[in-house]
Formats: sequence, C-alpha cells, structure tokens
Amino acid sequence: MKVYDGSQSDDGPEAEPERVKVGIAEYEVTADDAELTTSGLGSCVGVALYDTETGAAGLVHVMLPVAEEMDEGKAAKFADSGTQLLIDELHAIGANPRTVQAKIAGGSDMLDFSEGGSGIGDRNVEQVRATLAENDIPIVDEDVGGDHGRSLRLEAASGDLVVKSANREKRTL
Amino acid sequence: MKVDVQSLDTFNQLAHEGAEAATRSLTQMTGIEATVDVTRISLLDREDVGEELRGTAFAGVQFGFEGALAGETVLVFEEKRVGDIVEALMPGGCADESMAQSGVEEIGNIMMSGFIDGWAEHLNATIDHTPPTYIEREGAAVVPDGPETGARDQVFVFRSEIEWAGEDVNFYIYMLPGYGSMAELLAEHVDTAGDAIPIEKLAVFNQMTREGAAKAAENVQMMSGIETEAEVAQLSFVPIEDVPRQFGEDTYVGTVVEFTGTPSGFLLVLFDEASAVTVAEALLPVEPDSDGLTEQHESAVTELGNIMTSGFVDGWANVLQQSVDHTPPRLVHDMGQAIIDPLAAQLGRHQRHAFIIDARMQTDEVDFESEIHALPNEQELRAALDELVVDRADQLEADAEQIF
Amino acid sequence: MAEVLIADDSEFMRNLLREILEEDHTIVGEVENGVEAVEVFTEEHPDLVMMDIVMPIRDGIEATDEIKDTSPDANVVMCTSVGQEEKMKEAVKAGADGYITKPFQKPSVMEAIQDVVPS
Repeated sequence: MKVYDGSQSDDGPEAEPERVKVGIAEYEVTADDAELTTSGLGSCVGVALYDTETGAAGLVHVMLPVAEEMDEGKAAKFADSGTQLLIDELHAIGANPRTVQAKIAGGSDMLDFSEGGSGIGDRNVEQVRATLAENDIPIVDEDVGGDHGRSLRLEAASGDLVVKSANREKRTL
Repeated sequence: MKVDVQSLDTFNQLAHEGAEAATRSLTQMTGIEATVDVTRISLLDREDVGEELRGTAFAGVQFGFEGALAGETVLVFEEKRVGDIVEALMPGGCADESMAQSGVEEIGNIMMSGFIDGWAEHLNATIDHTPPTYIEREGAAVVPDGPETGARDQVFVFRSEIEWAGEDVNFYIYMLPGYGSMAELLAEHVDTAGDAIPIEKLAVFNQMTREGAAKAAENVQMMSGIETEAEVAQLSFVPIEDVPRQFGEDTYVGTVVEFTGTPSGFLLVLFDEASAVTVAEALLPVEPDSDGLTEQHESAVTELGNIMTSGFVDGWANVLQQSVDHTPPRLVHDMGQAIIDPLAAQLGRHQRHAFIIDARMQTDEVDFESEIHALPNEQELRAALDELVVDRADQLEADAEQIF
Repeated sequence: MAEVLIADDSEFMRNLLREILEEDHTIVGEVENGVEAVEVFTEEHPDLVMMDIVMPIRDGIEATDEIKDTSPDANVVMCTSVGQEEKMKEAVKAGADGYITKPFQKPSVMEAIQDVVPS
C-alpha cells in the first residue's frame, strides 16, 4: 500500500490549478495560484482579495452584516469579522498590505421580505466596504445588488474574479 | 423524553466532527483532498431514508455499532468511481476485483473508525463496531435497515456529504442509531429544560408535514392532471449557515412566501426547470406562444405554488386552531442556493440554528419533481409544538360547508 | 345572467375564472388587489364578487368587510387556496356569502354561484 504523509504534492509540471471550494461562512487563502470558488450567493457577499505584488489571494463568503458575541468561532459568517479575518490571513501568508486590492460580488436584494430600511444584501455590501476602507484596501471592481444569484471563481494566477449567474452572461471583474 | 436546540446542536456537531475525522483519514491514506460539505440530523420515516440517492448505483461499506449508542452506519460513493478511489489508495489495485473490494473495505474501515471514535470520545464511553461488510446496491437500498423499525416508524438519521475537491465524487455517510438509544442520549443532553420539546411531538409534526405534502400533491393532480405522490417528509436541524448548503447551483423555478402566525417563517415550492415547464403546460388551456419558460408559464407556476403552499400550511393552522397567513407568492428563477440564502440570512438575524421541513413529490408518469421547503422561526416552531395537541393531529382539514 | 367582478392577483386564476363564468355571466371587471376590488365594486355594483384572500396591498377579507359595510346586500364569494378554519370564520365575520377552495372543479364554482345569485 502506498502511504502518503499528506505533505507531498503529486502534481505534474503542467498541472491544472488546484480548485478549492469556499463554502458559505468560510474563507480560503492561497499563495500558489489556486482557483478559489464559491457558489450561490444571494444576499451573501463574496470578498476577493488579491495582492498585485506577491500574487497571494483570498476569498470569503459572508452571510450577515455584523458579528455578535454569541457567535464566537464563526468569524467568516459576518461581513465585518469575515472581511477582517480574510485580510489578516492574507497578510499571514505574506501579502503586502499596501498592494492588496479587493473585488466584491453578491449582496442581491432578491427575496428580501423585511419591511422598510435597507435589506440584508445592501447592509452586507455596506459593511464589507466599511471594513475594507478601515484597512485602506481599495475596491477595484464590483458586481453587487440586483435581484439574481451569483457564483464566483477567483483565479489567483491573474486576480480575475469570474461572476456567473443563472440567467445572464458571465462577467469577469 | 425531550429534546432542545442545545442537544440537537451537540449531536449535529459531533456527527460533523466525526465526518471530518473520517475525511482526514481518507486524505492521509489516499492523498484525496476532500471536504465535508454538510452534516445534518433529520427525523423521518424509515422508508424515506436515502431517497435522495435514487437512480444511482453505490458501493461502500456497512457496519453495526453498539455500546453507548447502537445502530448501523454506512459509507458509500458512486459505484462507477470505485476504480478512481482504489487507484488513489493503491495504484494498479483495481485490476483485480477482489483487491478493489478489499481496498474499498480498507478505506471504509479506517474512515468509519474515525467517525465512530469521535462519538465514543465525546460520550465518554466505548462504542464497538463490527467488521466492515462490502456492499454494492442501487439507490436508497445502500442505507442500512437500522434497528427494529417498520417502514412507517420514524428514525433519526445523521447524514454527511463529503466532496472530493476538483472531482465530481461525493462520499455519503448515513448513520442510523436506534430510536430509543438516540432519544435517550438527546434527552440527557438537554440544557434548557423549559424550552425542550417532547420528541414524540416532533414525530407527530412530521406526520402533519406528510399529510400537508399529500394535500399539496393532491392539488397538483387536480389542477394539472399529473398524478403526483408525496414521497418524503422530514424535519432536519442544522446551523443556520448550513441551510443554503443543502441546495446546489442547479437552477430552480418556483415560489417563495413569508408566512406569519405560529410559527412564522418562509416557505418555498420549487421545480427544476423541466418540471416547471411540464406542469405549467399541463395547467395552461392553450399552447404557449413560444418554447422555454414564458410569462404564461410563470403565471401558472406562481398560482400552482400559491395553491401548494396553502395545501401545505393549512393543515398546521387547522391542527393548531390558529390562522397562518402568507404573503402573495413571489416567483423565483435562480440557483437553488441563491434563492435560499437571503431567507436563511433573514432568519439568521435572530437564530443560530434552523429547523428545515422538507417534502418532495414526484411522479413516474412524466418527468416531474417538486420540492417544498419550510424554514420556520425556531422559537415559534418550538411554541407551536408546545401548543400542539397530539390528539388533534389528524384535524388537518377544515370544512367550509359547516361554517357557511 | 349575473354581473361578476373577479378579484385575484393571479393572472392565471383570473383567466381560468373568466373562462368558467363568461358562458353564463357578464364579467364587469378583473382586479388584482383588495383596494381595486372595493373601487370597482363601488363603481359597478356587480351582482357578485369572486374574491381571492391572499392579495397584495389589501387582502380579500378586508375588502369584503368594507364592501359589506357599505353595501350589506352585496354578494361576495371567497375563492381562495386557503383552507384554514380560522380564515373561514374570519370570512364569515366579514360577511362573505360563500367559500370556494382552490383548486376547484367547474361544477363547484357554478354551484356556489347558483346558491348566492340564483338564476
């Protein structure tokens, strides 16, 4: 029987980029050109960070605007703590804080039954903007709002964020 | 015996961690990078367990376990991918069928030991398991019988889905503990006695769900002439962020309403695109102007969704002797997960976990399938169950003629 | 032959009702919510209103209540997917004269209408 210790990589020289799925309320960072994907954003927001200098990249899929104390251990669920966590983790793998830029997508207001005031999608987007601004990270492109769902693929080799929707053309941010 | 959110959460987490331990073993052994997509605890009729597997052949291993918890568990994956999985374990291993089988047994054995050991550790007790049995079966038949149950008995099922990254392969773990031993364990882990729900009321509520689904199916049949049967009714419990994960990227057409009363929440009636077209055309008196999903189709689907919604919730209202109002239906046509995530987010402002009520109906005649999902406010569902008079559970229908 | 007003937010359902009713009756209006139902009722004074319950802006029970308040002789038959006892009682309180649950068969609609506005 072949025994792996989990640390070695079998990828051939021409290997396709590794594809890593980011679930709802989860994040991933990569320093080696993986493709990070997340699917089915409704009012949720996907925040994609890319360091133009080192090529480090990360993606988080947040669900609600602001973390509450009772939700310890689920930082990636919230726009404020999730965005901050992604920034911190990207720095931890060597990204340069001054050359990181953001692309965001999601935050649709479909199926918002709340009466008056802004919906959860809007508030998620606003909170992501605020947390990115606090960290001086510019948003270079975005595809937010509207009334449709989105799936995202962050290509860490280029920093491209590909946005797919059910009934419309693919977009690349 | 009672159950509360805390005890359900404890065991859901335990199953999730068990599945993660099993996945780590898999990665260590084979180099296969995999992640646990979702774990949920559900209560449903024995005969409905594994219904979502239908139409596919599976291979895997089955075990019995006993001790602090007794029952049966199985780890399966699509049979046609056995080769890839065994190849990852021992290159060249699948040339010989018996070697391949023993490879699957070995993977299953090590993964499931990881799964069971986590439970034993948490419960501070031993759980022994039998040697693995290799199985190859079609659809729901891969799910073990579980202990001493009839087809219509309700069982607790833990189900985890593990995804092989970058490959179109899923591993499924089903664990069926004996109802009695599971109920006892849940009751022992109740944290907030005041908020606890008698377990048998959950089962009664499930039966009401089945009746509601049957009523909705009857409505479909009356309107469209498509002979439809309610297939599954289950009550599941998951962390709120796992609600959207139960749905994939597949596109659905259907309706969503918000309902208010005891309980309040959201209700979805969903069709895959082909089924939406099929059922809409059965409803429309004339051929639609063009192919695909036209406005006429959408209008028909909206009204069908409306009528199915009423068929489904009226039973709750009549049993609870209250009214449950709902908003006019909103038509949706989008990725399943994107439809449900705004609803989960709206509930998620006030609750960290969710009960999901699922029903599915289908027909063998034509290609038609429909799903109903309800997401009630957790506290209000608890209140509704508290008020539920078990003896009234069959009073689902109201008779207008007696009132008018 | 009676003059009928149809109040239902579903285009599909309005079409279905129109087809059933127009053989023997005159449709004087089709509206999509309770506010419009009251308005058109006040203008047209039809012999019968077929009233859905779940509608946007204003529901059918509130609209029935107002119609019956100002015109106690009006005939209103609820035509709804809601089959809840409490709702039926609310409809009676509002003054509804009949209650048809969807999905319906043509004969049951004809029968309910016959009861309320005999030909």
